[in-house]
Amino acid sequence: MSETRVNKRSMSIKDYAIRYGFVALLIGLVVYFGIAAEGFSSPHSAVFIFQSVAITGILALGVTATLVVGGFDLSIGAVATSALMLSAYMMVVLEQNAFVAVAACLLMGAIVGLINGFLIVQMRVPDLLATLGMMFLLIGAQRIPTEGRSIATGMSLPDGSTAQGGFSPEFLALGRHRFDFFIENLIPVSVVILIVIAISIWFFLEYTRYGRVMYAIGSNERAASLAGVPVKKYRIIAYMISGVLASVGGILLAARLGRGDIASGNNLLLDSVAAALIGFAVLGAAKPNAFGTAVGALFVGILLQGLTMMNAPYYTQDFVKGGVLVIALMFTFALSNRR
Amino acid sequence: MLGTPIKIRGLEKRFAANRVLCGVDLDIPAGKVTVLMGANGAGKSTLVKIICGLYSADAGEVLLNDQPFSPNSPSAALQAGIVTVHQNINDGVVPDLDVASNLMLDWLANPKSAPLLNPTKIRKAAEEIAAKLDLNFDMNSMVSDLALADRQLVAIARAMAHSPNLMILDEPTSSLSATEAERLFRLVDKLRASGVAILYISHRMSDIRHVADRIVSMRDGTIVGKYETSPLDYEGAVNDMLGHTMTDVDIMVRTPDDVVLELQELQLKPDSKPINLTAHRNEVIAITGLVGVGKTQLTEVLFGQFTPAAGNLHLKGKTYLPKSARDAINHGVFLCAKDRGTNGVVQDFDINRNITLPFLSSLSTLGFVNRSAEYRITNEAIKKLGIVCQSANDDIGTLSGGNQQKVMVSRWLSHPCDVLILDEPFQGVDIAARRDIGAKVRETAKDRATIVLMAELDEALEIADRILVMAEFTIVGDHKNENVDLDLILEQVSGATTPQNLQKQKEGAAQ
Amino acid sequence: MKLTRRVFTKLLAGVSLAATSFVGLAHAADMPAPFDKPGEVKIALVRYLSTGDFFQAYLSGVERQSAALGVDLRVLDSRQDAALQADMVDQAIALGVDGIIVQHGLTESMQEAVQRAVDAGIKVVAFDVNVENPAVPQIEQSDRDLARLALEQAIADNGESWKAGYVYVPGIAPLDRRDETWLEFKARYSGIEEKATFGTLDNPIANSIANQARSVLSANPDITVMFAPYDEFAKGVKIAVDEAGMSEQVSIYSADVSTSDIAAMREPNSAWKATAATNPAVVGEVSVRALAMLLAGETPGASVVVPPTLITQKDLLEKDIKNMEELSAKLPQFAHAAVAVPDWMPLP
Repeated sequence: MSETRVNKRSMSIKDYAIRYGFVALLIGLVVYFGIAAEGFSSPHSAVFIFQSVAITGILALGVTATLVVGGFDLSIGAVATSALMLSAYMMVVLEQNAFVAVAACLLMGAIVGLINGFLIVQMRVPDLLATLGMMFLLIGAQRIPTEGRSIATGMSLPDGSTAQGGFSPEFLALGRHRFDFFIENLIPVSVVILIVIAISIWFFLEYTRYGRVMYAIGSNERAASLAGVPVKKYRIIAYMISGVLASVGGILLAARLGRGDIASGNNLLLDSVAAALIGFAVLGAAKPNAFGTAVGALFVGILLQGLTMMNAPYYTQDFVKGGVLVIALMFTFALSNRR
Repeated sequence: MLGTPIKIRGLEKRFAANRVLCGVDLDIPAGKVTVLMGANGAGKSTLVKIICGLYSADAGEVLLNDQPFSPNSPSAALQAGIVTVHQNINDGVVPDLDVASNLMLDWLANPKSAPLLNPTKIRKAAEEIAAKLDLNFDMNSMVSDLALADRQLVAIARAMAHSPNLMILDEPTSSLSATEAERLFRLVDKLRASGVAILYISHRMSDIRHVADRIVSMRDGTIVGKYETSPLDYEGAVNDMLGHTMTDVDIMVRTPDDVVLELQELQLKPDSKPINLTAHRNEVIAITGLVGVGKTQLTEVLFGQFTPAAGNLHLKGKTYLPKSARDAINHGVFLCAKDRGTNGVVQDFDINRNITLPFLSSLSTLGFVNRSAEYRITNEAIKKLGIVCQSANDDIGTLSGGNQQKVMVSRWLSHPCDVLILDEPFQGVDIAARRDIGAKVRETAKDRATIVLMAELDEALEIADRILVMAEFTIVGDHKNENVDLDLILEQVSGATTPQNLQKQKEGAAQ
Repeated sequence: MKLTRRVFTKLLAGVSLAATSFVGLAHAADMPAPFDKPGEVKIALVRYLSTGDFFQAYLSGVERQSAALGVDLRVLDSRQDAALQADMVDQAIALGVDGIIVQHGLTESMQEAVQRAVDAGIKVVAFDVNVENPAVPQIEQSDRDLARLALEQAIADNGESWKAGYVYVPGIAPLDRRDETWLEFKARYSGIEEKATFGTLDNPIANSIANQARSVLSANPDITVMFAPYDEFAKGVKIAVDEAGMSEQVSIYSADVSTSDIAAMREPNSAWKATAATNPAVVGEVSVRALAMLLAGETPGASVVVPPTLITQKDLLEKDIKNMEELSAKLPQFAHAAVAVPDWMPLP
């Protein structure tokens, strides 16, 4: 038989570089900061790194879900800040409890995802354009109820009265409570939520048929459709996952800030997209994956924590983030010749 | 002016292990239309791509006016006077520019042209180009507003501005209506009269009858037949192209069991003749016919991708009207689609994931995929079809075409079904893999009806109990695969029985 | 959104005009021309920045003072579009307004537009933007004074020698001016040791600053004073201090104030000890009063500085101040500024 095939008997140095290069870089970075920056290598510091990337990490996992089906969601940053405003509005102005506020935010995220998916799948609007439109829509919408003001307890309302409600302690606990873990009051709720979501998304994408089918759609939509996959449904679901996770991020943001801040969320969007793209390079996956995304977010977090501790000026941060992203994309696309 | 501008000598090309051209010798004389016939994968498009500078040959040479010629890019070929009008019409035009700019596109793209545009000048030059071919376009209209045929004429007119030595027309009528095709043929006549050498590639007998001065048949990377004397022997050419002679697989025709699938008065197009077809368990039906006669539409109807113009389908006695692929699969109708690269293979997946993709719901509980069950199926498939690989986790991209096709076929063999449709299962597959796949399909055919569609007759002879011939979107022949009258089948395939039929075919093919 | 606000502003202006026309008439005789005929004076507010609490409050101040004077106010909002803002000045000229308040913007884009307005005989005042025109008085909240008040309080609370963290992003005009004062204080008090400088404007700003401040605090656990001369910065630093459990040790001094800042300062054991602020509504009122003086032929001076107020945690707790309204009510120096107040000027 004249079949030929690629021989995989041993991995070359290049294969190792692609597979473990980025992880090695991460470890090297930790060691370097551990030596160079005083106080970097402590459990508190480690937990804090997780906390600083929790929100972007959660958003990035949502981005990953849309990237898997070959889509993209530009509206996540705006969804997160809308959830921030909505939760504040629910509690401060409408005087609802924490549960109602959280439920409203999650519902809002799901609906936004549904609309995004509907625009993209049914109306055939290209994904970047549909979610860009949604982004502007949300940035505007979050300002309407308060006429552009931030929401805080005691604020004056458009009708002249003052808001009587406040952030409920249960809600604030989402941002401020810490679980004991060997050390008292160590792990914040947001970190726990990040870890739970990361593991769930990883499990969902790798071990369930839904995740498998989503990867198939991202790689060859036509083939997936002819294999009997309801492609439209899955693509809409991907955008709903993205919307819900973005609103979870927004809820945690609100709980940490303790007020409803007007913000476009563009930095959240860019940081989380960067994390998801860096994730392509982790373990040479060369495709969107939950584990990579989590590592990507962590990578950025470690870098920024270390640099700040070493008193690096703020403008170096974006530079360094960009550098990491470029290197990661190089790992993904140039070194691994799979694409 | 007349002569033989292009001579091809001993041209060879291989892609990895796959020999696509094995020593092609071909002359293309000026002032004549040389029709190149060949089934999918015969090497036509590779040959064209070498001539127009997209590929380079491994051995042999192309002589242009008796000078060795090996263009290293399409623009080099263009400079040398070799112009190609591609099958996909929109590859030849820029829809968002007006007609004048399209006609002058080569001038616009030339780095030596003046940086500033003079609209009047451009228009005038463009009008001259159009006038050469007696074409009358509104120079200001957008190409995107033109009908497909007009776009094609624009592309050809642009090509003609180079006063070409050789014009290659690759399936130019594939998306034209009958009247549009007529206009194209008139243009071809004009080109011929002006002494251009024309290489015309087509599957369509009606086209070929219209334009051919000579016919060259190609098969498995070599030229297998040349027909130059009038009247041209069209059947002989088709015969060469489909090449049934090498068949040496003996088929034991089996007795069909009960009826599984029934098509009643099914019309693929509002004006096509109805199809009646019955498929039984323990029966392998091959449907053969040239490209573009409705085979693909038929599979799409059966697999819920396309609603027929009229008619009924019955599956196991019940009305069957699938709304989607999922629906068809749930009814026990599987389709192994043609063009595995776009319709079948998921490049990012390994063998295992490619095989189990349609059946994940039956392989999982509460959404969680049962990995051991999945690997059991895959490993069995690898063993049964002899897929050459290291393990079930090999990326599909590392496999050869034949092995990828085996993966696709074994995907659909991995679960029992009532009707299995295989569309061009031997596309881009070497002979050994083809035999493996054919044998496995027949071996497992007992409990289902199997329908295999292909353009090549000898493939049909290798696999089928019954051979149906399709032409003009309907079934024109039904043969038991025992002592088959090959001449009759070829006649039916080429639609050449009576002058009346010929007329009809032209209409049918042109639509 | 644009629509609703426009409609709302128009409604508000209409209603307040109707409401004040009687009052205005009563005083009309006492006021110099052209204010003796209220309702015939038209002024325009041309804005560059508009979203956020500060700008909302500024607008309300402008509206209140305009209503008190009985003038017709038009609000033109360019929403951070520099070119549009310049066009809006021309639009205001075309509307035939008597006076224009330019609120923020870029010198480059506004200079010529303002010159055109001045040439058309229109009186112009500018808030927080230098239009480089001697005929245009500058309304300023004194950033240097803001920083000075906050730092003086820090010295009063912590003595003259402490280890500090400083939040600063260069290139933002008010922050640069506040930075000058910080440099001055560092030079004057050699005991102040700046352990770390950090800062970012990535939004939500408080969240990004909190992340940075956490890193800074773990690298420099001996910091006792955080100078964060912008309330978003201070908010972020406070979150970090709370999360690090260092609120007993660290004191935060800042500039600017809002309702949610007041709540944060009032929290039990809050590290946020004091902030210095100018009431944006008062700045709005002063802008209109300065313009009115120009229209009446008086000179408010080349620069009109609105003095800031120091707001300490102690004030807020003792006077039970919970929001901006109560702050205005209970700290009179915050509610009003005796700037640009000639005898005839009606106050809101």
